[in-house]
Amino acid sequence: MNINLEILEASFIYDKNDIKELNTKELVPKMVTRRRLTKAAKIVIYLSSQINSKNERIVYGNAYGELKSTQSILSSINAKEQISPTVFQNSVYNTAVSYLSMLKGNTSEIMTVSSGDITSLNILKAGAVKALDGDEIVLIVTEALNIDHIEDLNKCIDYLEVGVALKVKVSKKEKTMNIDTTNNQKYPASVIHMLNIAKSFDKTKQNIIEITL
Amino acid sequence: MIIKNRVYITASTSISCAGNSNEELFLNICKCNSGIKNNSNFSYNNNPAIGVINSDLTFDQNLIDQCQKILENSNLKNFEDTLLILGSSVGGMKNTENSYFKNSDYKDIDINNHNIQTLIDVIESKYKFYDNIAFSTACTSSANAIGYAYDVIKKDIYKNILVVGADSICHTTVGGFDALGVLSNGVCKPFDENRDGMNVSEAIACLLIQNQKTSNSIEVCGVGYSSDAYHMTQPHPNGSKNAMMNALKCANIEPKNINYINAHGTGTMANDTSEASAIEAVFSSEVKVSSTKSITGHTLGAAGAIEAIISSMVIQNQTIPANNNLENIENKNINLSLETSKEDVNYVMSNSFAFGGNNCSLVFGRVK
Repeated sequence: MNINLEILEASFIYDKNDIKELNTKELVPKMVTRRRLTKAAKIVIYLSSQINSKNERIVYGNAYGELKSTQSILSSINAKEQISPTVFQNSVYNTAVSYLSMLKGNTSEIMTVSSGDITSLNILKAGAVKALDGDEIVLIVTEALNIDHIEDLNKCIDYLEVGVALKVKVSKKEKTMNIDTTNNQKYPASVIHMLNIAKSFDKTKQNIIEITL
Repeated sequence: MIIKNRVYITASTSISCAGNSNEELFLNICKCNSGIKNNSNFSYNNNPAIGVINSDLTFDQNLIDQCQKILENSNLKNFEDTLLILGSSVGGMKNTENSYFKNSDYKDIDINNHNIQTLIDVIESKYKFYDNIAFSTACTSSANAIGYAYDVIKKDIYKNILVVGADSICHTTVGGFDALGVLSNGVCKPFDENRDGMNVSEAIACLLIQNQKTSNSIEVCGVGYSSDAYHMTQPHPNGSKNAMMNALKCANIEPKNINYINAHGTGTMANDTSEASAIEAVFSSEVKVSSTKSITGHTLGAAGAIEAIISSMVIQNQTIPANNNLENIENKNINLSLETSKEDVNYVMSNSFAFGGNNCSLVFGRVK
């Protein structure tokens, strides 16, 4: 089955090491909450603010989970020290989008996909399935790989921090753009389908993609 | 979108600390034989009660073995026209731990054997599927996988789905729940006022979900999702209440039609108080409720799938299991099942709730 999605809003942000301009202090005024946020959560909250997101259903995803939390947990276990409860609660794959739901009071359905290199493609597919119900769906993918010793794990990704958000709805119109999978600048493969859509998004035109399931 | 298809569980298999087959699992649940044992292998400072699969095979070998059993018990020749949907919260964490603890560095860690997708790679090393997708929403992962299967069959996108819920026990989850102060050193006591925590456990549970019924099929009648939007680990009763009400609405049935609720019932103070309150708000005091986690433990990302199998077997066997280990009921306004009993069961609800306030309730029904 093919499902056509109109891209209503798009936003992306990336950095080779550390995305700094995330406006977190303004977007999350409560310090007690802000201090608990993971980097992926800060990226998700920023992207949400850029696409005029309200309380839509969300399909979020990442390929590798909350690596910084995972690293901290492994270090604690290896050193026979108690794991930080906050770090553990921040280690699940749906951490980032859960903080967004708390911040915005979003009680809707929120899914988290983790499909390795095809994570953003599968977010698009799951989003298309959900969008058949007629509502606008927010799709978000992030990777936050800038952890200590990442050079031991990563041999091919240049951009360690990336986030993309799209707001979509089903369209009966013909597609106007293809989903490009070119990755010359070495972003994480897990974000590339959505990142290239966001980069090609033109607010002055209709932006319609075709999702094949 | 015109909804036309019906959704059926046509085959299922499982392996957990409570049994190496569905039959063993259900027998142990009905007889209150817990698979939970004290085990210090995953904790440096504690001897928590946890659930470990009793098998000579590795976890990955068991994953392939369970898929093979499903295939043998199905009407399929292969999985080439089947969508694989995985639900897992830890994926390949055990691989990462093994590498890191050996050398105390990251050099031998393969990041692609760390993530959730690694379990799909294991399955696809033996079987070819039409496509695959994995959900990782902590303890609702495989409940959400079943919900997605329901969605894509209802919408006539796929005919055959293999849902796999799989989580292996590891230091991270045992140590993490210990850090939260919610691990019990004995078999957990869901809904008891003297409960002292949960039992982390592991399992693999597979369900073949199709658009055509076969003999002994169980219908997936509805799914309800919600988010608490409240706290990362403390549940809010409104979230679970909304998930249950959404599931009833999706199934187009009334609360009085549900005969049994397989509760999330982890045995933690926070979950059980909140869930009981939500059940009380939605249902009359007639519907029977029990948690089966004192037998299986909390299998985390596999919990939704294994409890879907238990819910199916409740309907197939017309038998409601007891809430094991219950001595002093905390919330007397819900009808906790005190002993395993033969009942007329048409509809069962299964609840799964997770970190981040992610909630999923599923409704299963007898095929008429």
